[in-house]
Amino acid sequence: MLNKLLASLDESERAAVDDEEYAVLKAVAAELPSVKRDVLELIPTLQLIQTKHGYLPRLALRMVADHLGTTVSKVYGIATFYNQFRFNPPGRNPIKVCLGTACHVKGGEIILENFERRLGIKENETSEDREYSLERVACIGCCALAPAVVVGEKVEAYVTPSKVEGIITEIEVRKEMAAREQKKDEE
Amino acid sequence: MKSNKSPEEYLKEHADEARAAVTALKNSSNPVIYVGAATCGRAAGALETIAGFETALEENGITAEIRKVGCLGHCYAEPLVIIQNPGFPPLLYQKIGAGEAGILVRSFLKDGSDPCYEYLIGALEADENFPTLMDYPRYLYEKRVVMAHCGLIDPAEIDHYLAVGGYESLASGLKKGSEWVLEEVKSANLRGRGGAGFPAGRKWEIARQVEAEEKLLICNGDEGDPGAYMDRTLLESNPHQVLEGLALAALAVGAEKALLYIRAEYPLAVKVMESAISQAESKNLLGANILGSDFSLAVSVFQGSGAFVCGEETALIESLSGRRGMPKLRPPYPAVSGFAGRPTIINNVKTLSTVPSIIKNGAAWFLDIGTPDSPGTAIFSVVGEVEYPGLVEVPMGVTLEHLVVDVCGGIKNGKELKAVQIGGPSGGCLPASLMDTIIDFDSLRSVGAMMGSGGLVVMNEDTCMVEVARYFTDFTQGESCGKCTFCRIGTRHLREILHSITIGEGLPGDINDLTEISEAVVAGSLCSLGKTAPNPVLTTLRFFRDEYVAHVEGKCCPARMCRTLTAFYIDLEACARGCDACVACCPTESIFTTSNRKKAIDQEKCVKCGECVYACPPEYDAVRRVSPPELIPDQGVEPLPENEKEESEA
Amino acid sequence: MSDKLVTITVDDKEISAPAGSYLLPVCLENDIYIPNLCYLEGMETPPASCRLCLVEIEGRPGPQVSCRCLIEDGMVVKTNSEEILKLRQIAFRLLVSTNDGSCKSCISNRSCELQQIAKFLHQPLRTKRLRHIDRAYPPLIDDHPYLVYEPKKCLLCGRCVYVCNNIEKGYKLSFAQRGMDTIVSFFGSDLDPASAFCKECFACTEVCPVGSLSSKEKWKAFVDGLK
Repeated sequence: MLNKLLASLDESERAAVDDEEYAVLKAVAAELPSVKRDVLELIPTLQLIQTKHGYLPRLALRMVADHLGTTVSKVYGIATFYNQFRFNPPGRNPIKVCLGTACHVKGGEIILENFERRLGIKENETSEDREYSLERVACIGCCALAPAVVVGEKVEAYVTPSKVEGIITEIEVRKEMAAREQKKDEE
Repeated sequence: MKSNKSPEEYLKEHADEARAAVTALKNSSNPVIYVGAATCGRAAGALETIAGFETALEENGITAEIRKVGCLGHCYAEPLVIIQNPGFPPLLYQKIGAGEAGILVRSFLKDGSDPCYEYLIGALEADENFPTLMDYPRYLYEKRVVMAHCGLIDPAEIDHYLAVGGYESLASGLKKGSEWVLEEVKSANLRGRGGAGFPAGRKWEIARQVEAEEKLLICNGDEGDPGAYMDRTLLESNPHQVLEGLALAALAVGAEKALLYIRAEYPLAVKVMESAISQAESKNLLGANILGSDFSLAVSVFQGSGAFVCGEETALIESLSGRRGMPKLRPPYPAVSGFAGRPTIINNVKTLSTVPSIIKNGAAWFLDIGTPDSPGTAIFSVVGEVEYPGLVEVPMGVTLEHLVVDVCGGIKNGKELKAVQIGGPSGGCLPASLMDTIIDFDSLRSVGAMMGSGGLVVMNEDTCMVEVARYFTDFTQGESCGKCTFCRIGTRHLREILHSITIGEGLPGDINDLTEISEAVVAGSLCSLGKTAPNPVLTTLRFFRDEYVAHVEGKCCPARMCRTLTAFYIDLEACARGCDACVACCPTESIFTTSNRKKAIDQEKCVKCGECVYACPPEYDAVRRVSPPELIPDQGVEPLPENEKEESEA
Repeated sequence: MSDKLVTITVDDKEISAPAGSYLLPVCLENDIYIPNLCYLEGMETPPASCRLCLVEIEGRPGPQVSCRCLIEDGMVVKTNSEEILKLRQIAFRLLVSTNDGSCKSCISNRSCELQQIAKFLHQPLRTKRLRHIDRAYPPLIDDHPYLVYEPKKCLLCGRCVYVCNNIEKGYKLSFAQRGMDTIVSFFGSDLDPASAFCKECFACTEVCPVGSLSSKEKWKAFVDGLK
């Protein structure tokens, strides 16, 4: 199964896929055989890939379509309908700014702008070094802690423009420390 | 296998065991620490709190048990902790971080003398030495039926639910029969808590009467309203209550298959429910031949992929079927022909969570709560500018005034209440003059709002109603499935017009266009998302028309919220020489020093985030906000000459 | 549908038709025109998405879509009340407010259903009453081997998706994206030649009311002819 799908990539397709994405495709090819061949499994399957890899690579849609016996256009049509699915790899530090009602009233929009300014990317973009990605989400259900932001898995409460600075600095410091640790280990 | 024992006898064995286990925990000679660790609690740092307790307990050599519980609804006070220390009543503490956890362990658990009154909210049981929770005004108005056990029992353990009488309603339902369950819910006039208020019993009856090989019951937990989170709280805090309600509904309908449709954005709720299902199955409370009866129910979880429109029944069924979640015209109604053509009943989490208490206490008891046409309680997530935001459960019939002022402590910072937005994107904005409106399905609808999902946002004088309408329209427009013309394009035009108005580009005919398009979208849309989408626009036009006019004609935002129409300046009279508080906070470095060493804002660079308003020390309070921006007075501001700057830095 | 005939009154005209028929085709057959875009003859459950065929039915609250309304004996229908006319006009204005391109250079000029509806409703094809909304699509999508798609002309009526999916085998057209971004997609035609095996039946282009979806060959000939 795995070999068949991956081997069917022609040269130009293989060239268009970087190593990271190829690894994801390989993983998807390994996971698919355990999925029941039933169109009802389509959304759960896409969820599985999304949750595990953070996005749905273009070619993974084809694998899912092949496995479930449907067409790529249908799979694409469904995947693009729902908010949950992404088609580009997220940053290592995905930042989700909540713009639910309470967060909006308390200035969530301004927080989003501050992230955009600080990171130099717009919403729904990933920074060039793939370190950060930024998106808005509709209500994470922490309305009493507004405005709220989810950084990675962690919810940051009562975010202000100056706290935006703090959040990014903290990530940078942690990165710096990890890099030093690694360097030390290597030595 | 049908057993000779009655379902009640069957259940009693489990319940006795559970009660023994829970009593042992309650009477434990060691302290027990309950930490509110639902999603909201975790956001506020509950996991750090737990780590703090663990470290402190170890350091002080104390043996205590830590339990994660759900959410009490006191969101303003998170992380919440209940400590059951032998010799004391169970005590509820607020805002307990890791540091406070350490203090509680040392002062209260180790020395046993100081119950740390500074963090205390109250005792859960009457006690002469402590104020009890019931003494708070909030509890005079609240009536907890559905949320009665939320935050007090461990959602990860079925025993905790069994010990408080859980699944007794299911056992008696099984004994007395499906007809009886249906009649009881019908005569209780339980109206669907998902928003529309259709009587649940009547819906069940329709599906019950359809002849079909298989029927399906779905619990709708696809809570998508940006500002409501009670469904998630119920799923996370008392999962078995949902399952018991689901089983009773399935019994009444004659369904042997049930699904929990939960948003994928609620990973904790999914996890809690999955574990609850398997625990219930292991005790034969779900699965084949429940409690020895001939009723079987297979329950599974389906994760919703995030589309607000999937809260609509026909769209939800489409998405379950592995298709795009686009609503279909009714009839046929899902109760007659739904998923795969089978009779399908979809009930909201709150509706199902209410069912066990109706079966336990009877329809007459339920009819005694609330108003004649809307019996029972309503759960609201009250957020925004109130002193105590959170989840509250009040009997229907309470006024908005009581809800906002008495239960939630009124408006923060001594400001004026301007409006409440009730019912989320399908609801409406009601002005302060309508605060005596009674909360029930029909009263709210008569003033143009809706019970909706129960989201309630309280707004003060600093909130612009045009901007609020724009926000909700932006949301529904983005969530429109795109199927029908009125909703797809009509809501987009509403958004465009509202956006233009809020940035000062409103045209003279815009207010009339808003009304005309809104009314057409209400009349012409295919599904309830479209039909209700213009409600925020229509209600703000009705109650706050002046604000629209001010934006369009005067290019002025009276609430000074719309940023294009607002500007900030520093009042040089009030500003203190040499103070730099605002400079450091400005994200765009737009604040500079003036020739007399005070501060001024470069309007070109200012992004109007308002951060300097908070940074300016209250004793000076020098930052002013005006709309339109032309109102900035000429204060003859000159920047400090370059050479003097260096001097002062040196 | 049964053989039993029922009698209904539409705009004061009495009509007999088989019980269980939908109202819209019954009216159309009896020379009572009701504008419509998403309906196709023979559909079992029309999608009722274009909302142009709204009518008033005595005893029922609010406007009703005639394409999904089963006729009943004694039913009294009004297709031209003031409220209905206003709603249709607004629906029409909404549709054209998102449309681009000029009729002169359009392959379906003079055979376009939108032009017919405009005439019937006395509405211009470019509305000044509403702001223009630009849909963020390229003007032309032509990576399909046999089809070209001009998304800015598309009214999203869904007829093409419907007919394509009712053909037994072969490659299927589908809707993609959501809301205002919705588009008819043949995603995969470049990605997966095997599954993109289009039968070249061109049923989809035949049902397109506005010339948004065309056969590549005909479209090329038309464009060359323009030059």
